[in-house]
Amino acid sequence: MVEMVFITPFVTGLLAFVLPKALSRQLLVLTGAVHLVLSLLLWKNTPQAWFAEYFAVTPEGLLSLLVISLLFFLISIYTTGYLAAHGLKSENIFTGFMLLFLSTMTMVTLSDHIMVLWIAIEATTLASAPLIYTHRSGASLEATWKYVLICSVGIAMALVGSLFLTFSMELGGVTAAMSFSALTPVAGQLDPAWLKAGFIFIVVGYGTKMGLAPMHTWLPDAHSEAPSPASALLSGVLLNCAYLGIFKTNKIMVSAGLSDFSGTILIVFGLLSIVAAATYILKQTEYKRMLAYSSIENMGIIALGTGIGGLGVYGAVICMIHHSLIKSSLFLSSGNILMAYKDRLIANTGQMAKQMPKTFVAFFAGFAGISGFPPFGIFIGELFIIMAAFKTGHYLAAGIFIFSLCVIFAGFARQVMAICFDTPAETGTQSAADHKNFPFKEPPGMVWPQYVLLLTSLILCFFIPDALYQTIVDAVHAIGGGLQ
Amino acid sequence: MTLYTVDTLLTLVLLSVLFAFGSSRVPSLIKVMAFQGIVVSIIPFFITPHMATGAVIFTIATLVIRGVLIPLSIHLAIRKVAIQRDVAPIVGYHASLFFGLGLIVAAAVISRYLNIPSISDSRLLFPAALSLLVTGMFLLMARRNAIAMVIGYIMLENGIYLMGTTFSVRARHIVEFGILLDVLAGVMIMAVILQNIKQTFDDVDTSLLRTLKE
Repeated sequence: MVEMVFITPFVTGLLAFVLPKALSRQLLVLTGAVHLVLSLLLWKNTPQAWFAEYFAVTPEGLLSLLVISLLFFLISIYTTGYLAAHGLKSENIFTGFMLLFLSTMTMVTLSDHIMVLWIAIEATTLASAPLIYTHRSGASLEATWKYVLICSVGIAMALVGSLFLTFSMELGGVTAAMSFSALTPVAGQLDPAWLKAGFIFIVVGYGTKMGLAPMHTWLPDAHSEAPSPASALLSGVLLNCAYLGIFKTNKIMVSAGLSDFSGTILIVFGLLSIVAAATYILKQTEYKRMLAYSSIENMGIIALGTGIGGLGVYGAVICMIHHSLIKSSLFLSSGNILMAYKDRLIANTGQMAKQMPKTFVAFFAGFAGISGFPPFGIFIGELFIIMAAFKTGHYLAAGIFIFSLCVIFAGFARQVMAICFDTPAETGTQSAADHKNFPFKEPPGMVWPQYVLLLTSLILCFFIPDALYQTIVDAVHAIGGGLQ
Repeated sequence: MTLYTVDTLLTLVLLSVLFAFGSSRVPSLIKVMAFQGIVVSIIPFFITPHMATGAVIFTIATLVIRGVLIPLSIHLAIRKVAIQRDVAPIVGYHASLFFGLGLIVAAAVISRYLNIPSISDSRLLFPAALSLLVTGMFLLMARRNAIAMVIGYIMLENGIYLMGTTFSVRARHIVEFGILLDVLAGVMIMAVILQNIKQTFDDVDTSLLRTLKE
C-alpha cells in the first residue's frame, strides 16, 4: 500500500509522454490531487509496506511527503496556467518528467534501506535533469551539465559513505538489516571509525545535493535556468529530500553516541553555507539567482539547527517546512515576473507594485517571510535555533548566524525594492502610464497557488494541528531534539 | 589459487589506471574504461567459490552493463559528434603519470593501516578500488574535455563497485541492480548532454561552459 504513493505518479508520468498536450496537463493536476489524498491516507493510519525491508513510514518521511504533496498539487495548478500562457516546445517531456520527479522524491521520503535511499536520491537527479534543460539554450545546457555531473559525483561520495556503513556493520558484528530503522537501535555496536568516515562522506555527498557550501556551485545555475514551476519544485522539496538522507544518518550517529562529532560537522557546513549565501546575495543581479542563494542560506540554517541539537532540531524542521512553502511561492512569483518583463536581470524590471499588483503582494509577502519576519514560520524556526545555540554555548556560531542574517536581509531588501518600486532602467516605454498595455495579465491560476502557500505558512505559525505537531516531535526526538 | 587470479586481475586494473593518466586521446580512454568495467565486474566470480544462481545472473548483468553498455553508449555518443582530439589536460601528462604512480603507492600504504573487513583476503582489492576512485576524480578535475570528464565519472563508479564487491556478494541483488540502473541511466543522460554540448558549442571543451557565474 505504501508503495502506491510513488508508483501512481510513475505510471501517470509515463502516460504523460504519449498523451495529447491538453490531456497531459490535466493528468498533471489530477495526479497531484490523487497523490495528496494518498499521502494524507498515510497520515491517517500507518499501513505496512509491501516490501517492508526497503520501505517504511517514518515521522520525518511523513512530514517531507506531506510538504512534497501539497507543493506539487499547487505547483501543478500553476503549471497549467504557465503552460497555457507560455507554451513549451516539448511540453509532454516537461509534464512527464515533472511526474517522474514527483515519483522519485516520494520514494526518497519512504525509503528505509540505506542503499534504496541512495538509489532514490540519484533517481531524483536523473528525473529533474531534463526539466532544467527545458528551454534548450546554451545557458540551460551548461546548467544541466553542471547539475548532472556535480550531483552525480557528489552522490557517488554518498555511496562510498553508505559502503563504509556496511564496513562498520561487519566489523561490529551487526547482522541487522541494512535499514535506518533497524540500525538505529543497535548503533552502539557499529565500528565507530568507519561510522564516522561514512558520516563524513554521506554529508559531503547528500550535502552536494542539498546545496551546502562549498558544494553548492550547481544550485544557482540550475534554479535560475529551469522553468519557474520546476525551480519551485527543485528548491522547495528536492533540497529537503537530500536533507532527509543526512537527517536519517545523523539519527544513527546520535544513537551511537557520536552526536558531538556529527553536530560539529553539520554546524561547520551550515555556517559555511550561510556565509557563502550572504556574500553572493549582496551583489546579485538576477532575481532567480538571488532566490537560489537564499535557498542555500536556508539549507545552511537547517544544517546548523540539526547540528546544534535540542531545540535547534525542532527549529530546523520548522524552518524546513516553512522554507518549502515560502520559497516555492517566491519561485512561482518569479515565473510571473520573468514572463512579464522577459528578462532575468533585476535592473530591467521595476514598478511591479503598479504593473502586477497581485504578484507583487505574493512576492513581497514571500520576501518578508523568507527574511524571517513574523508572522511567518521561519521567524519561529530561526528564533529556536538561536536560542538553542546560546543554551548550548555555541556563541560564535550564533554570532556569525545573526550577522549573516542581517547582511542577507539587507541585500535581499535592496533587490526586492528595486523590482517592486524602481523605474525600469532600459525600457522607459513600460512606465506606469501604459499600464493598460502591460503584456502580462496575471491569470488567477498563476496567482492564487502562491497565496495558498503563503497562507498555509501563516496559519501553521499560529495553529499547528495535533497530528502534525506530534509527528514533528517524534521526528526530532529521534536525534535528541525536543522543545526543552 | 583463486586469490592469485584475483590479484593478477587487480594488477591489470592498477596498470590500466596508469594508462588512464597517460592517455591523450578520448578513444583510448574509452578502451581503458571498458577494460576496467569488464575486470571489475568479473571479480566476484573468483572471490566466491560457490555462487547462487541469482548471484551469477546478477554478475553477468553487471558485466553486460559495465563492460558493454556503458562504454558503448559513450562510444556511440562520440561517434555521432565525431571528436578526434585530445583530452585538454589542465595537468600535463607527465605530471599526471607521476601522480598516478604516487597514488598507487599511497593507496597500498593506506590500505595496510585500515581495518577493512573481509576483503583483507585479497591484498590488492582495496588499493585497486581506491586508485580507481581517485583516478576518476582526477580525470574529472584535471581534464577540460567533457567526454574525459564523463569517463572519469564512470571510473569513479567502477572503483566504488570494486570497493563494495564483498558487499554485493552478500546484499540483495535487487538493490545492487537498482544502483547499477541508476549509473547506467546517469551515463546515458550524460551522453545525451555531450551530444547537445557538441551541437550547441561545436566543441566539448568545458571552458566554453563558463557563462553562468556567481
